[in-house]
Amino acid sequence: MARKVLTGIPVSSGIAIGKAFFMNRRLYGSIPRQSIASHLVAGEQDRLRQALAQAARELEAAREQVPAELREHALLIDSHVTIMRDPKLCESACGFIERMRINAEWALLKAVKELEDKFAAIEDEYIRQRIQDVRLVADRVQSKLMGLARELRDIEGRIILMAHDLSPADTVGLEVDKIMAFTTAEGGKTSHTGILARSLQIPSLVGVQELEDEIRDGQFVIIDALKGRILVEPGEDEILEYSLLQNQFELYQKAIIRNCHLPAETIDGYRVQVMANIELFEEVAAVQDHGGEGVGLYRTEYSYMNRMALPDEDELTAEYTSLASILAPAKVVYRTLDLGADKVVSQFGAIDERNPALGLRSIRFCLQHKELFKAQIRAILRASVAGNVAMMYPMISGLRELREANKVLNIAKHELRSEGVPFNEEIPVGIMVELPSAVMTAELLAKEADFFSIGTNDLIQYSLGIDRTNKNVSYLYQPLHPAILRSIKHVVDAAHQSGIEVSLCGEVAADPFCVPILMGMQIDSLSMNPQAIPGIKRIIRQTTMAECKDLLRRVLECRTVNRINKLVMDTIFQRFPEELTFYSSLIESEDLI
Amino acid sequence: MFVTNEEIAADDSASAEVCVGNELGLHARPAARLAREAQRFACDIALVSGGQQVDAKSILDILTLAAAPGSAMTIRATGRDASLAVRTISELFNTRFGEEK
Repeated sequence: MARKVLTGIPVSSGIAIGKAFFMNRRLYGSIPRQSIASHLVAGEQDRLRQALAQAARELEAAREQVPAELREHALLIDSHVTIMRDPKLCESACGFIERMRINAEWALLKAVKELEDKFAAIEDEYIRQRIQDVRLVADRVQSKLMGLARELRDIEGRIILMAHDLSPADTVGLEVDKIMAFTTAEGGKTSHTGILARSLQIPSLVGVQELEDEIRDGQFVIIDALKGRILVEPGEDEILEYSLLQNQFELYQKAIIRNCHLPAETIDGYRVQVMANIELFEEVAAVQDHGGEGVGLYRTEYSYMNRMALPDEDELTAEYTSLASILAPAKVVYRTLDLGADKVVSQFGAIDERNPALGLRSIRFCLQHKELFKAQIRAILRASVAGNVAMMYPMISGLRELREANKVLNIAKHELRSEGVPFNEEIPVGIMVELPSAVMTAELLAKEADFFSIGTNDLIQYSLGIDRTNKNVSYLYQPLHPAILRSIKHVVDAAHQSGIEVSLCGEVAADPFCVPILMGMQIDSLSMNPQAIPGIKRIIRQTTMAECKDLLRRVLECRTVNRINKLVMDTIFQRFPEELTFYSSLIESEDLI
Repeated sequence: MFVTNEEIAADDSASAEVCVGNELGLHARPAARLAREAQRFACDIALVSGGQQVDAKSILDILTLAAAPGSAMTIRATGRDASLAVRTISELFNTRFGEEK
């Protein structure tokens, strides 16, 4: 029997058995407290001073690399460096070392605690919140003191990666061949960790309770990312049982891949296009191996992350051209930069925003950095002669933004024409529908966009008012909420009335429980992580449009999300019992858990 | 040259009255700028506002002043480069720490 079983949210299915390795832990609560002898006081003070100075030097070096366009980040790094060099912080902590004879880590914690009390009394909310910067600075210094700034490259063999949380920039540079599974204490169903894990076909659990308290580095664990469990120090019988299950799962995967190149056509002849969402050029092979009919969403932001200088137009053109030509005649849809506070943090220092999901991100960020935006559009246009290329703007809130973005596009086109650079004059330009305001104005937007792509991850977040990375409210993330279903249907109908196509590119597209309903709405194409394509295609090929429409009709008659979930679960389980053994779904039904 | 609002009491001490012109008050960025500038001087520099006195070389101290836009404060320096320090820091206040608003 395992010593302990933890539960989490499975975001990429599979089984992994191996040793735990923590990339980062939440430091608060794990800081050691030690008494020291009086002759060690000076040495301990010195250790603190050095950690502060070293952390400050590292940040200063990072600051030097921040491009001029991102001056705001540089200023924020400046304030962090200034806090690290603040004589008061150092004096206060050194004072604690001397008076209380304690180690540097605990002294720093006490110094920060003292500041927290001071700041708590400040009336001005903005300044009161600056304590967050002090905490960030302290965390950096603590991990220096505690020797936690370890690198994955230093370890040998394969491990099960554990972390308090993984930011997009954390994950970009990982040596994935060393990682058997991802597990994080934070995060919800659609957090970046999940998206990455699925694209790499690595089992993954997020939102694991007590992860940091119950698991030590090097401990043996079983990750069950089918049922959402971690077995800590499992018994031999459990290891044997899970090895068998792992084997079965892999055989099933292989079986469905065999027929993945057949078209996604229902028994009664309705054809849906099944495309892939990717973020790295290297994933093209996965698209082709899994029967993807093109790339419905290329997340372009990854060329901008995990590096210090922004990519230039020629570099982007080369990347987009290779992708377009290798996929031709299949289509590739480039989504223009979708950067925001959550995706620039680790690289450039945090954008100072209280609600990044509601802040300066995506198309808003691009329209404030038009030169950066135009360079990307020029690169996409230049690549458009190499294959079947389309582009779309993320997070459009209404016509004004679409027109403003198109203005930049027209300037870029005009420039290229006058430079004599060839591009496809008729390149389709679509928008992502992911804000309730875009849903409500879909009829108007459909007249000025060439196609729609519904981004359900954000649409659900904004429609239901939940932060999708917040595990406290992740139970509210309900793709089949009547409001979401009505929104999607409204968008599809508005698009078809204007004669434009509509695709869906959120996680919902890869959910076998949701796909038949989307089919019933007559969605034109679905775009999903490449690994999900074979299973979804197989389900589509075994169904009929008549039954999908019937299911949709019954679903739209339901008044509550619980009723819908139950109806869908019952129907799909009855129709595809074998298919669904290894699936996890975004939808939940209490009766079935 | 005589500088208004600045009284030079002795060779090694100086002070000046200034006013926070930044729209958001003395928030993180101006505070960082002020602390960094103050750290370049050898003299001790204090900011006095609303009965509170803090060390101008400490961003954390400056932040705890929570000086609102328009609030008046005194810069007080003691040490060999006190006069230059007060002049430099007054200038920072007058130019709103390089911010537009």
